[in-house]
Amino acid sequence: MFDIPKEREVPFAGVTPAPVGEQPMMITGNWRTYRPVIDHEKCNLCMNCVIFCPDACWQLNEAEEEVVWNSKYCKGCLICVNECTTAALTKTYELDFEDGVVRLEKLF
Amino acid sequence: MAKEVTLSGCAAAAQAVKMAKVDVICSYPIRPYTAAMMELAKMVANGELDAEFIHGEGEHAQLSVCYGASAAGARTFTGSSGVGVTYAFETYSPISGARLPVQMMIADRTLDPPGDFGSEHTDAMSCRDQGWLMGWAETPQEAFDNHLINYRVGEDPRVMLPQFVCQDGYFVSHLPGKVTLPDQSQVDEFLPPYKPPHALDTKKPVSHGPQIRPDQGVIMDLQRAQAFLDVPKVIRGAIDDFNRIFGRRYSPFVEEYQTDDADVVFFIQGAHALTARHAIKHLRGKGLKIGLVKLRFVRPFPTEEVAEALSKFKAVGVVETSTSYGGAMRGGNLLHEVRAALYDAPKRPLTTSFMAGMGGEVIPLQEFYWMAEVLAKAVKDGRVGKYVYWVGFEQAA
Repeated sequence: MFDIPKEREVPFAGVTPAPVGEQPMMITGNWRTYRPVIDHEKCNLCMNCVIFCPDACWQLNEAEEEVVWNSKYCKGCLICVNECTTAALTKTYELDFEDGVVRLEKLF
Repeated sequence: MAKEVTLSGCAAAAQAVKMAKVDVICSYPIRPYTAAMMELAKMVANGELDAEFIHGEGEHAQLSVCYGASAAGARTFTGSSGVGVTYAFETYSPISGARLPVQMMIADRTLDPPGDFGSEHTDAMSCRDQGWLMGWAETPQEAFDNHLINYRVGEDPRVMLPQFVCQDGYFVSHLPGKVTLPDQSQVDEFLPPYKPPHALDTKKPVSHGPQIRPDQGVIMDLQRAQAFLDVPKVIRGAIDDFNRIFGRRYSPFVEEYQTDDADVVFFIQGAHALTARHAIKHLRGKGLKIGLVKLRFVRPFPTEEVAEALSKFKAVGVVETSTSYGGAMRGGNLLHEVRAALYDAPKRPLTTSFMAGMGGEVIPLQEFYWMAEVLAKAVKDGRVGKYVYWVGFEQAA
């Protein structure tokens, strides 16, 4: 028998509960090189980032009337930065952030 | 009552699949395996078999259909030959990684150089490291039996792995042989219904095949590696039950013929073992102490069983029917496995290999006689001259 540490166990055959808004067992945002950063002052809520993000990492918070970034699944592709109509989104090098991701400490 | 009939390997496979009460079949034509699908299509059309029969757009689609159907809880069957087998290559690891016991028949055909249709094991052997069980049948009877045995082993909760159930094209797939068809009640006793642990269910939804990270991938590799370590004991249990219920005498992994006093043996898998047995009878008539060791599963490779069986002899000639261009032994794949298995054995025989039956040619008795001469010479000289001989094209070294 192999000795697989408890915290590194993966569900049998990778089968996970569904449907879920987020898949907490399969966090995939730990290989970004750049992070999109929003300046809410410049954002006109055009929703381009929400529409174009291939991983649905931008969502509208209707109560706060602002778009919210989900760090857990953002791969740093920067499509949102490219599509932003007001230059509210810019890129910053991931490891310039104190919490910059290299590899998650905890898997799930 | 069990009854004896005459069937080709393809027809025998179809009968086994029918008696396994398969739920979903996905076909795409390529000879020689196609004949199995023709039989199954007739059974479904005639109402003898209650299964979904789906025409795939190609081999990749065949396997993808079975992937989905197996995830949904169906017992599935598909098959192919030659370049059809390699066309579906991308799907093999995801299916074994998903731990879905899809069963695929392979009736061997050469990989095109540029369009040979003979039988060679290279098509299936190229897929041997994808996490599927794999083994060959020598006769239509063994093909029939192997389909049932593989469903039982592959669907075992300790295993949950897909299976390549192989037979040589033409030599088994199209040559009729005697097959004892069992009673359905015997098959039902041996093979319980497929109970997947994660069948797709609208009331309990799950995701299959999610994106994972490298640090999760290694764990999934480990899960498959562990399953393969557990397979041998499941195979032993299944073979014991099979022999008891069907009255056969299979060894789980290696079968020996005329080995009690043998100095030299052929090591072989598949159809040509039949000719080898006859060659051995004639050679023994001339006083040569020769026997045969036949491999029944190449995945999982029965390392201990092969080492134990082969270390009894002075020389072993591995009859390859596949290519490993540029490989360590310059010939086929089996010698690699055999030599690796023997490396730590306290007593090692001389080993060499024979490229025979390549391109789908028959291996005539005369070629087996020649191979026996090479082995006898190796024993006399105390060494093998070469790792590999292309039989018919080289002198004994």
